[in-house]
Amino acid sequence: MNNPYRSIEAEVLKVTTETPSIKTFLLKPKEELTFKPGQFMEFSVPGSGEAPFTPSSDSHINDTMEITIVKVGKVTDAIHELKPGDTVGLRGPLGKGYPLTKFIGQDVIVIGGGVGLAPVRTLMYGLFHMRDQLSGLIYRGGCRNPKEFLYRKELEKWMKRDDINMKLTVDEGDASWKGPVGVVTTIMDNIDVNFDRAKAIVCGPPIMMKFATFKLQELGVQDRNIYLSMEKNMSCGFGKCGHCRIGPYYCCKDGPVFTYDMIREYPGIWE
Amino acid sequence: MGKAGNIAQSFVCSDCNYLSDTVINICGIMSVFCSIKPLDKHVFHLYFMAMLFIKRGNLDQLLKSLTGDYRVYVPHRMGNSTGYSQLSESDTDYEIGEIRSFDPLKSFYFLGREKVAEDFKPDILRDDKPPCIVGAKACDLKGFRILDFVFIDDEFGDPTYMKAREDGLIISADCTGFNETCFCTAVDINPWPESDFDVNLSPIEDGFIVNTGSDKGRDLIESNKNLFTEATEAHAEAIDQNRKTIKSGVAKSAKELRIPVPDRLSRVIEKQYESNIWKEASEDCVECGACNTICPTCHCFLLYDQKSDSRLARFRIWDSCMIHDFARVAGGENPRDRLWMRLRNRFDKKFTYFPEVLKEIGCTGCGRCISACPGKIDIREVLARLEV
Repeated sequence: MNNPYRSIEAEVLKVTTETPSIKTFLLKPKEELTFKPGQFMEFSVPGSGEAPFTPSSDSHINDTMEITIVKVGKVTDAIHELKPGDTVGLRGPLGKGYPLTKFIGQDVIVIGGGVGLAPVRTLMYGLFHMRDQLSGLIYRGGCRNPKEFLYRKELEKWMKRDDINMKLTVDEGDASWKGPVGVVTTIMDNIDVNFDRAKAIVCGPPIMMKFATFKLQELGVQDRNIYLSMEKNMSCGFGKCGHCRIGPYYCCKDGPVFTYDMIREYPGIWE
Repeated sequence: MGKAGNIAQSFVCSDCNYLSDTVINICGIMSVFCSIKPLDKHVFHLYFMAMLFIKRGNLDQLLKSLTGDYRVYVPHRMGNSTGYSQLSESDTDYEIGEIRSFDPLKSFYFLGREKVAEDFKPDILRDDKPPCIVGAKACDLKGFRILDFVFIDDEFGDPTYMKAREDGLIISADCTGFNETCFCTAVDINPWPESDFDVNLSPIEDGFIVNTGSDKGRDLIESNKNLFTEATEAHAEAIDQNRKTIKSGVAKSAKELRIPVPDRLSRVIEKQYESNIWKEASEDCVECGACNTICPTCHCFLLYDQKSDSRLARFRIWDSCMIHDFARVAGGENPRDRLWMRLRNRFDKKFTYFPEVLKEIGCTGCGRCISACPGKIDIREVLARLEV
């Protein structure tokens, strides 16, 4: 019988400091481990604990995986101490991820904010791989300040592509910032798509997800076409431990990506 | 076995143990169709079993013989109630009948604290004999329906729970009493087992009437034939009488408390979702989590990696949704920051979530949470208050 609680061993190959509180870990699992954009992993440091994270690397790369992690608590403190050569545990992939095939032939609007840019990066790689099957591709990214922009160089490279309509904003600018200043909803006007049929994906801090969702509704995007990447307390990751229930769903097993129409009536979704 | 007069027909789904009164005829073979599962999957065995009788002394012998293959748990009197402990060699002092034990049976299938993974090995760590639970009550069996739904699945099933359920044996029993906190009839359960058992015992003078609920139960009886005799009409009447008395007693007390009828339970919670009742009802809660721990359907747990050395030792520990940080995420957001929200969530899970996803009420009416609560919060009173 399969043991769903068991982690597989992985080696830390590289640690990249993105911001003072965010690091990206390049991991090499010792067994085959593949995932789809939007799925998540339970990442553990032996002797310190386990917590859920969404990978931030291209899901088409099979032998390694990157995970970008903010330091916010006990487990992430231990993760931030990791060095190349250290051994960690990975359990997953868990959850359903984004239904990419439903995006075929559609205009796709991606709204990312803060550390939400990490899972969005995996999604963007997935969308770039299927770019010729999509209609428009729109990306709107926001962050508190330019120093907190994850993968800024990569984003700047994407900005130069002619197959994506992309804008980035910061809540507060600095001397290095030439782009717009304001929350992400302020750069969501002037998108030229048929909103009634467009698919929108939102991933970021709860407050940003809430207002981006309201803005998308205002623009005319259907609730069933707004895909939200929900963050709840998840322990087991497969719908048994009971922590992440949202109405009739478990965030881990039935999500973590939900369309807004599935969850809008349940309390506490933005907390 | 048996004469026409006392043949009992148990129409039991061999797959899920659902007891049905619907008999259909397929290809000339009498079969039983389980109405809660799809037709194509379930054409079932039909047991024509004589109603049997076993003397108390013979039951002692039967249970003793089971200790080789099973961890046999029997209820013993402990103060005003009964509690389970493992049957020892010379033990004949157990008590079948009466009411459910104070401890929930989930504890034998899903330990309060159990190591579930070590290092990166795929091994299933717990490897003891399967449990045999003797004297389980109808409310206990209902608890398994909920836990089975949660823990049994192909991809992510809990290996130790699944193994214990698959290999375990359940020898259930009718209730022969009820106490002040019993309200099973209010959640559509009769105080005698009707399904989900291998063998059921209905206590009568000097012994028990025996019914079979599964292949495993039938095999057990077949291989111990000499311990059983045929039951008589008088025996059957005695059980019927007991069942009627207990049921009307429980139903009377449930009615006096004005608990909403089963069909209305999820509707009253929905209707009163924003009501002040939740705030008032949670005033006496001290967040001890006893209601969760003692509940036969509460299944929530936490995976905890032992903080000792660099080895990975992962434990599955019972958790409680009444405790403040249950739903808190890293970074501090908490969708159920207030105690009344957590109390409401507990009711919502039992009376809305499980009926929605499983078509079963997630409460068995066992009343354990009422006895266990130091704040004297009574689930029945809260439900009654919701029905305005």
